[in-house]
Amino acid sequence: MNPVPLKESRVLRWTIAILGLVLVLSVTQELARPETNDLISAGTAGSTLRRAVPILLAGLGGIWAERAGVVNIGLEGMMILGTWFGAWGALEFGPWWGIVIGIAGGAAGGLLHAVATVGFGVDHIISGVAINILAPGITRFLSREIFATQTGGGITQSPRVESVGHVDFPFLSGGEVFGWASPDTFGWIADRGWFLVSDLCAVASGVTSNVSWATLLALALVPGTVYLLWRTPFGLRVRSCGEHPVAADSLGVNVYRMKYAAVIISGGMAGFGGAFIAIEQTGIYREAQTQGRGFIGLATVIFGNWQPLGAFLGSILFGFADALQLRDRTAVHALLLLTGVAVGLVALRALRRSQPVGAAVLLLISALVLWWYSVTESVMSELPPVTPHIATLLVLVFATSRLRMPAADGMRYRKGQE
Amino acid sequence: MPPATAVELTGITKRFPGVVANDDVHISVTEGEIHAVVGENGAGKSTLMKILYGMLAPDEGRMTVTGDEVSFSSPGEAIDRGIGMVHQHFMLADNLTVLENVILGAEPKRRGAIDLEAARTSLEELGASYGLDIHPDDMVDTLEVGERQRVEIIKVLYRGAKILILDEPTAVLVPQEVEELFRNLRELKAQGHTIIFIDHKLTEVLEIADTITVLRAGRTVTTVDAADVTAQELAEMMIGGDLPSPSTATHQIDDHVTLALAGVSVTGDDEREALSDIDLTIRRGEILGVAGVEGNGQGELIEAILGLRQLAGGYLTFRGEDIGQWPVRRRRESGIGYVPEDRHRRGLLLDAPLWENAMLGHQTVEPFAKGSLIDRSGARKATEAIVDRFDVRTPGIDTTARALSGGNQQKLVVGREIAADPLLLIAAHPTRGIDVGAQAAVWEELRRVRAEGLSVLLVSADLHELIGLADRLVVMLGGRIVAELDPADTTPRLLGSHMTGAEVDDGEPAT
Repeated sequence: MNPVPLKESRVLRWTIAILGLVLVLSVTQELARPETNDLISAGTAGSTLRRAVPILLAGLGGIWAERAGVVNIGLEGMMILGTWFGAWGALEFGPWWGIVIGIAGGAAGGLLHAVATVGFGVDHIISGVAINILAPGITRFLSREIFATQTGGGITQSPRVESVGHVDFPFLSGGEVFGWASPDTFGWIADRGWFLVSDLCAVASGVTSNVSWATLLALALVPGTVYLLWRTPFGLRVRSCGEHPVAADSLGVNVYRMKYAAVIISGGMAGFGGAFIAIEQTGIYREAQTQGRGFIGLATVIFGNWQPLGAFLGSILFGFADALQLRDRTAVHALLLLTGVAVGLVALRALRRSQPVGAAVLLLISALVLWWYSVTESVMSELPPVTPHIATLLVLVFATSRLRMPAADGMRYRKGQE
Repeated sequence: MPPATAVELTGITKRFPGVVANDDVHISVTEGEIHAVVGENGAGKSTLMKILYGMLAPDEGRMTVTGDEVSFSSPGEAIDRGIGMVHQHFMLADNLTVLENVILGAEPKRRGAIDLEAARTSLEELGASYGLDIHPDDMVDTLEVGERQRVEIIKVLYRGAKILILDEPTAVLVPQEVEELFRNLRELKAQGHTIIFIDHKLTEVLEIADTITVLRAGRTVTTVDAADVTAQELAEMMIGGDLPSPSTATHQIDDHVTLALAGVSVTGDDEREALSDIDLTIRRGEILGVAGVEGNGQGELIEAILGLRQLAGGYLTFRGEDIGQWPVRRRRESGIGYVPEDRHRRGLLLDAPLWENAMLGHQTVEPFAKGSLIDRSGARKATEAIVDRFDVRTPGIDTTARALSGGNQQKLVVGREIAADPLLLIAAHPTRGIDVGAQAAVWEELRRVRAEGLSVLLVSADLHELIGLADRLVVMLGGRIVAELDPADTTPRLLGSHMTGAEVDDGEPAT
């Protein structure tokens, strides 16, 4: 088999998928006007990206641990450590050091998880839950010792922290080049109001203007993880530990060392995610500000079939739901329309694959959601904040078919076992 | 000049708690030959090879590789010495490609990354020069068994091994794949590699090997030239001459048929036919012995009778009723007892107390249950009774099963099944890996229940056990019953010939 056409067809498939997605969004937007203008806009796109980053980082963290065969349900706790240490580092040494120290805080949580699960063979879930319980306790204690003595700080929050720099892309979104303001191409087209084209450019404008350097760093970790895990000897050894540790051991791979490394990297990623929330998203450390994003990140691991790109797509999806409910609550009502349409499309696909029962159920759901949309003006106030979680559930329900987890994921490994 | 010695093992002894797996073993392998190591299950072949590959350390003895004395503490050191092992259970990660599996741990690098091009080239070169047909970018889980084995061989060659150990390589292969493997092995030999080949299929061994070493009960029996020996002679050496006298106790077998299989076929895990057209009957008060080299359908036969495996064809009748579609629970409750072959994996919950273990498989019936609830006091009383009656040596019934010795664990399992008063008892290797005292106790118990009219299906690799206990013997080979014998005029030698498919030429009646 020649690999080149395969690659081309993959690029083509992705292009079609993205265009199709924007088309669905555009159509839904037109239907939902004038109720909301936020379904597809530069603001929503930018916000989606910012909201997606912590989830993405948790997801990448999950991939690192699980590819090495360690289930890391402690991502949430490691993220919490990241928020605190990130904010503390940013206060003491400036925002970039905050990111670094946040990563270190998460990595320390990862090390603890590795010692428990790899070193002592503790059940992965139990250790993870323990870390999730331990982390808020540690941060509360540290806050009382440190933040409570500072002006603007208290036992549940830090003083305000400065964020790292932001950037507008030159020529695309009007960034400066040596002091000269380049044209804002995407912004200009977005304002024309051309169907689909303007919407595409609005999205592009949103993700290329006022972008935090930390966001760019986080995005770079997606290809970075792919490279490390699939192109280097280290990555191959890590993955072999998640698939068949006995085989890896029989070939002289130090299984324990690989697992330790992967779980520490996993914690570092989650810590970065936490630091991002504190430093970039909110500009302050506040207790419980991770809001379960570590768990949602874990969901993107499954959604993304243990692949970094898949986790990235998952994080964008959850980021979108999150952004929408934050920016404009009426947009969540329009989201019902979108959900109805999307479920309808999945139903059609099921019909094409001759799964009549599934198709009928999905069509019924689709009809119910659309009916709900048409007879109501707004949704109850409880719904918007839980939208990301409902989206998580829906996606996992529809995405679990072709998933394949690492074969030895979650299993205890002892050297010399057979 | 005589050819150099590739590997020499002198006086190797390895003890495990309660057993001596290798007892003063001597083997000398000449460079460039195919040297087969044969012996019954439990003769110590695998232990010996694990010692040579650095997976186990010997308690006594010396090893030399190409003249230098060595002692390995890990497989890595054996690999460095040019020794490679193809394991019986493949050491391959399904979700990685062939290429990734081969280079793992010895990756070619370029600027920190894996040099995929170089790896692919060297793999294709290896494949071409030894006639091993492989595709580097296939995922391992899409490969057939034979292809997987080729990947394992390539893996070993990629690391520069000159001495290859193959642990029962033909056990998982169909005949065409065996031929392919043998072609590959002859090619390797022609290019100067030394091959140590573990097997117990004697016809195959005679076909491929130059020299054969026979092990029995952990000791070297002899080393012979393959050209100077026949399959019968080998079988005799493997099994040994001394036999206990068969049980002479008279008992009554009546005409009442307990279990009948008619034309039963079953599909195995690998989608191949594991049982073909099996006809069997067991009458009341009869012990039917099933002989055969392991993996010839005995496991599937048991699973089919118990209902763990669907019938692909044929009929299964128990006391005149067609039970072919019954669920396992209903079959058990109607009176089928089961002593599993592997007590740790299938017979016991090692970390549960004895009284819980004693109700496994009987948890829905008295005295272990009252209605839909577990009857704790009833269960404990019944467990005490089992412990007393079957002489299970234990401090108490709250002890975990793990704390018991193998023999006492087995007595508990056998006791549990017999105490439930079954009509048919399936006993798979009931005395494997237990000490002589416990073995005698289990045998005695089987004889006693037979006298009470119980039917027993006895599957065993211990030929003395089969000949001594069974009223009738059948031999399985390749998923079929190839012979039915009367133990009164059967010798282990004849039985061995049938089991290995060797020609029966000494005029003894085969039916």
